[in-house]
Amino acid sequence: MATCTGCSLLCEDIEAALENGALSHVKNLCRKGHGHFQAAFTERTVPMIDGQQVDLDRAIAKAAEILRNARSPLLYGWSNSTLEAQAAGIKLAEKLGATIDDTSSFCQGILMERILSGKIPTCTLDDVRNYADTSIFWGSDPSSSHPRHLSRFSYYPRGEKRQKSYEEERTCIAVDVRKSATAKLCSNYYFRVAPGGDGEFLEAILAVLDGKIPRVGDKKKMIEFGSILKKTEWGAIFPGLGMIYSLQDKMELFERLLAKLNEITTFKVIPMVGHYNMRGFNELMREKTGFINRVSFKGGARAHGPEHSVVAAARTCDAALVIGSDPLSALPFGTARALARLPLIAIDPRRSMTTDAAKVVIPSALSGLEAGGTAARMDGVRIKFEPIIDTQLLSDEQIITRIMEAI
Amino acid sequence: MADVVEVTIVTVRDIFQDEAGRKSRFSDEYKNLSALIILDKQDLIRLKAKDGQRLLVKNDVGSIVVAARTSEDDAHPGIAFMYNSPWSNQLVSDNVCESSIPGFKSIKATLSAAETNITQITEIQARMQS
Repeated sequence: MATCTGCSLLCEDIEAALENGALSHVKNLCRKGHGHFQAAFTERTVPMIDGQQVDLDRAIAKAAEILRNARSPLLYGWSNSTLEAQAAGIKLAEKLGATIDDTSSFCQGILMERILSGKIPTCTLDDVRNYADTSIFWGSDPSSSHPRHLSRFSYYPRGEKRQKSYEEERTCIAVDVRKSATAKLCSNYYFRVAPGGDGEFLEAILAVLDGKIPRVGDKKKMIEFGSILKKTEWGAIFPGLGMIYSLQDKMELFERLLAKLNEITTFKVIPMVGHYNMRGFNELMREKTGFINRVSFKGGARAHGPEHSVVAAARTCDAALVIGSDPLSALPFGTARALARLPLIAIDPRRSMTTDAAKVVIPSALSGLEAGGTAARMDGVRIKFEPIIDTQLLSDEQIITRIMEAI
Repeated sequence: MADVVEVTIVTVRDIFQDEAGRKSRFSDEYKNLSALIILDKQDLIRLKAKDGQRLLVKNDVGSIVVAARTSEDDAHPGIAFMYNSPWSNQLVSDNVCESSIPGFKSIKATLSAAETNITQITEIQARMQS
């Protein structure tokens, strides 16, 4: 049995048969997971320096040389690495006096900080399966991003207290700017928000919960939404990037909603984390530094702030190590270009825009398939997994350790 | 009828595009599922454009040529959707607010008929090195 590291559900029930070192048959993989597993067999990286293939030892030595000579290195990525690799990465950042950041910096970070500090109540996905009668997908579309979320946890399964499940006991609601695949599934319980309008939508719900007439939106629909919330016995909200990007600096409105809902009934929140171990990095960083991301260890200090986010640091650092991430694809053009112009070290199992632009490429084993380790699921549950394919490739943890030794 | 239409682009996810990107960022399949913009029917009419037609999407940050796709959603004039990708990121500013999150889901841009081909990923890579 394999664990899929294609998203932060970390499905542990993947049956995979191997023949001649390749996958011949798989069971229980979603489409996204299937793409992730197939990726192990296409466009793999090889050790490179300046576009020329070299042996692994030379690539590692060159990476160490770049980092050793840098005055302000940036270590970025981490959300697709195991907890063991992340811990090694934080040690490397301390040793180098580097800035360290991960994908949560422009993703779920502002919500995750509130979850980990206890400002917003949370629970496990197993609690959702067992107790939830209302699941709200707010700015999230699990049918595209976490395809087995509804079948394993939030809608279809028969849980301890929800034996009649979706047929009678569970309600699924979508709040989104578009009728996503998940919103279509929610059918009558789809609530459209204008782009950037989540703050107004939240204020309208708060008004309804206070027994007032909402000033914005479809009043009838908002009152209907409020009624569902009030009748809920045990609810869960799954915010996605649609909500996070819309609210940004107004996240306290969401905190107020949760406080209000929990005066009436029970509501928990689980962020729809994309990468398989983003939460793990946030937990480790918080434990070791007090901050979930965006930390600089320069001069032996622990400075935190937006100036240490990848978007800002890409312009101020003089070298960067990127692990398990493709910021040249995922970040705004200006940030991507700033990174592309740096002496860039890319550690990745597969070819990407970032590995194409990197001065040094170090191939790594694919977690879950070729490398074992531990990761934190989107709800914080720690999942340990073993590799199912033998490989000579080093894991992220081994590579970071080798670089640290070379430095 | 307008030759240029202003829209706000919201980037979203799509499982088919995601799967294609995991297999290869450099495949035609990924390009075909990424270099497209989903438009309200009325916006297509205003542009005198048809489904599949090439459109130049431009703003202060950059420009790309992508294919138009007719939205199947309820009416949303002035709001366009793109799947998050290197193509959409050509238009995203890295001027950020207090939270330091770029405006991936609130991209202001203009649309007009394109005279060149769909932007290739190699062109995007070349822009980064320029």
